[in-house]
Amino acid sequence: MTFTLSHSAKRLLLSLLCLCLGIVYLFPYAWMVLTGFRSAVDTLSLRFIFEPTLEGFRSVLGDSIFRAYMLNSIIVSTLTTVVVLTVAAPAAFALAHLPIRGTGFLLFVLVVRMVPGIAILIPIYLVASRLGVLDTHGVLIVLYATFNLPFAIWLLRGFFCDVPGEIREAAIIDGCSELQVFLKIMLPLTSSGIVATGVFVFIAAWNEFLFALALTNSFASTAPLAMVAFRSEYGVQWPSIGAAAFIISTPVVLFAVVMQRFLVRGLTMGSVKG
Amino acid sequence: MPAGLRKGQIHRRAKVPLEPYWFMAPAVIMLATVYLGPMIYAVMTSTTHWVLTEPGSETIRAGLENYKDVLGAASFWQAVKITLLYTLTSVTLSLTLGTLLALLLDNELHFASFFRSIMLIPMVITPAVIAIFWKLLYEQEQGVLNSLLVAMGFAKVAWLGLDHAFFAMVIMDSWQNTPFFMLVILAGLQSVDSNLMDAARVDGANVFQRFRYVVLPHLVPYMLIAAAFRGIATMNDFDKIWLLTQGGPGEATTTITVYTYKIAFSSFDMGRTTAIAMIFVVIVLVASAPLLRHLFRTARRPA
Repeated sequence: MTFTLSHSAKRLLLSLLCLCLGIVYLFPYAWMVLTGFRSAVDTLSLRFIFEPTLEGFRSVLGDSIFRAYMLNSIIVSTLTTVVVLTVAAPAAFALAHLPIRGTGFLLFVLVVRMVPGIAILIPIYLVASRLGVLDTHGVLIVLYATFNLPFAIWLLRGFFCDVPGEIREAAIIDGCSELQVFLKIMLPLTSSGIVATGVFVFIAAWNEFLFALALTNSFASTAPLAMVAFRSEYGVQWPSIGAAAFIISTPVVLFAVVMQRFLVRGLTMGSVKG
Repeated sequence: MPAGLRKGQIHRRAKVPLEPYWFMAPAVIMLATVYLGPMIYAVMTSTTHWVLTEPGSETIRAGLENYKDVLGAASFWQAVKITLLYTLTSVTLSLTLGTLLALLLDNELHFASFFRSIMLIPMVITPAVIAIFWKLLYEQEQGVLNSLLVAMGFAKVAWLGLDHAFFAMVIMDSWQNTPFFMLVILAGLQSVDSNLMDAARVDGANVFQRFRYVVLPHLVPYMLIAAAFRGIATMNDFDKIWLLTQGGPGEATTTITVYTYKIAFSSFDMGRTTAIAMIFVVIVLVASAPLLRHLFRTARRPA
């Protein structure tokens, strides 16, 4: 009796401790979100209780540059995700199920991922300016798609490996081509993995900063660059910056919370599996 | 049944299996043109005296001069030092905190899955946004950190001043990445063999001995892999640092990425910049060699 009581008491105490740690941990983010709801006058006060206002949100959403950057981010991230999945899924399927010498390619793909972005920024900048594609959506989409290919192939290969090879063999014996196996059997069976990979790619594209900073000027600039634009445009207008930060981070935060299980699996896969 | 299987195998061997390579072709072509192409171009550029503002300078051969210049510059080695220190302290700090949180979360808890979800938030927030709100927290006169310090009776700290900017950068990065270590190590903890734990308990091992001799050895590979992954990513960090400090004050937070960017867009010296970038690639690849070897071995194993 006393044992069970102390056990559940211990559980409750640990849970409360966890909750407190969670609150402390997320305090920086929470503080930024709160800043978005403050009036310019009491931005930097320590008070938690204040009269919330939507001034910051109104000024940000009323700003045509901010709206344009957000739209650019939506276009670039969505198309990047589509391109990556279209290119990575067949490759991952081949590496997982087809008679192919693929481990060398997988290693190559990983080495490519280790190469610092800054290292190829300059040549890409030079090539893009020669081709006249600086400040276009297309250049960002092609680059982001390529940068995310290695990870997507690696991740998707794991999901395809989970599908038993016998299913493919049976379909082949029944007269399916490899393409039909891929489209009609493998894709539906790995749909949750494909969605998870897509979320990863979307988040990465949404958050990218360096290439957007160097390769765009204003027409194709993405949301993270709005943070820079706002800082100089508004000086110390923290509510506007807080509101912009909240709006920019909300899509990825929602993704993370909704896709919790998949994200954890994606993060730990390849790194610790096997 | 065996006949059918054999037939499939013969079928496969008889036809030249070109099909698999078609599935991979788009990925290979993209990686080759958008990644390898610029890399080769960069190597070539690094052996010229090309300065963007001097037309025609791209044809001036430089041999290995750019490399000699870069390796002879004190500012380059300062950036290397800061990058390595930043990576080491940030990874150590988030690994330690992540392990502690994972050990806590490994207990049976109420709302454990809720806790896990909210801990994912820092990992995914746009780095540009992270830098901006940490800047708000670090604000010297009225920022919330200093206000809290004053309220507790301490003096204000110049967080982004010369003495503390490096640590401000480390704290920001560790804050973002502690949850990554927590999640990976939690996955490790949940795969500890319970028989082994029971055996240790029967043998009279106390909580610390069980941790030291059973749990910890099991966790080490998880810790190493997570540290390697984060280490490489941290070395490549640019956006958070750029927006928090722009590498300053002075060179206090100028990592190699920031250094490269500064040189590129202030001197427009393409030869020198690409030489720095190529040396950086070598550093990153050498640092990640053990991780690559491990992953390669994992990939080779039939899944």
